[in-house]
Amino acid sequence: MASSMLLRSMLPRTFASATGRNVLRSASVQGKDILNLVSSSLMLHFKVRASSTAQYVPGGPIIKGTVNDPVEFPHPSKIHGSYHWAFERLLAASLVPMTAAAFVTSGSSYPVLDGLLGLSLVMHSHIGFDSMVVDYVHKRKFPIIGPILTWTLRTATVGVLVGVYQFNTNDIGLTELIAKVWTA
Amino acid sequence: MMSARIGLGSATRRVAFAPVIGRNQTVLRTLIPKRGVQIQSLPPSASEEILNAQRLKRPSSPHFTIYQPQLTWLGSIANRVTGGALSALLYGFSLAYLVAPDTFDSAHIVEFVAGLPDYVKYTGKVILAAPFTFHFWNGLRHLSWDMGKFLSLKGAYRAGYAALGATAISTVALVLM
Repeated sequence: MASSMLLRSMLPRTFASATGRNVLRSASVQGKDILNLVSSSLMLHFKVRASSTAQYVPGGPIIKGTVNDPVEFPHPSKIHGSYHWAFERLLAASLVPMTAAAFVTSGSSYPVLDGLLGLSLVMHSHIGFDSMVVDYVHKRKFPIIGPILTWTLRTATVGVLVGVYQFNTNDIGLTELIAKVWTA
Repeated sequence: MMSARIGLGSATRRVAFAPVIGRNQTVLRTLIPKRGVQIQSLPPSASEEILNAQRLKRPSSPHFTIYQPQLTWLGSIANRVTGGALSALLYGFSLAYLVAPDTFDSAHIVEFVAGLPDYVKYTGKVILAAPFTFHFWNGLRHLSWDMGKFLSLKGAYRAGYAALGATAISTVALVLM
């Protein structure tokens, strides 16, 4: 009998008696049922936990808020996208005839041209500096210094606009200054 | 045999040839070696700190320092550098005039420049004219790309050399003016 052989070789004396053997026989029949019940209850338990904390995708759950997050792309907007691009190119293109005109005439004769040139130059410079800040100190990687530099640049541009206005109004103007300094 | 390499060879041999009755106890004792590695218990959330600490120590291979100098990217960064320098000059002067209009007004500046020796004046003109003309001609090259021209490698190189030539000529013209 297989069960008696098993008893004699390894198991402790407890199961050597007849009652012990009966316990073993019934346990082996019920054991499978118990095992199934336990495993199914465990699997059910795991499913509940997975859906409540993380998003499941093939390959494993994605837990938000760690360094392993995928890149978040900026919200698509025409103002910061294609309109900004077109405005930047139009501004740069308009600077060419304005600079040539200011070069040929003098700043005192055409103060409106001088003012427009000054404004366009400052806007062109601001867009250029802003591109540098976005390229090198993006707020995704530099969450503190990035926004600080962006707002410092905006404040500086406002100051420069005021300064250029003051200079063009109270003094000779940008084109005249460059012409005078060049031939000094 | 792996058990020999981790130093448990003699222990497993003892278990294999041990008497049958005491076998289970000897198996249990080999799983807990006497001279072992110290382990510390960590929560699962500590894994991110360990990962970040490792990432900080990781080296990165050279990239920017070994890229071959080419007209394409040298021209591009030169455009940005010249633009940034000229804009910094504009911003610096405007802010200085805003803060101290009497020190930085046109009369003082013209007077200061007129008093400089000739070679300083010529050097200053070159230093101002070269970045301006390069930014101007390379800016035109950039705008032509935006319109779809010169987008091939040959086209980009031809336009680049043309821009460099125009820069040289116009710098000379401006300095002599």
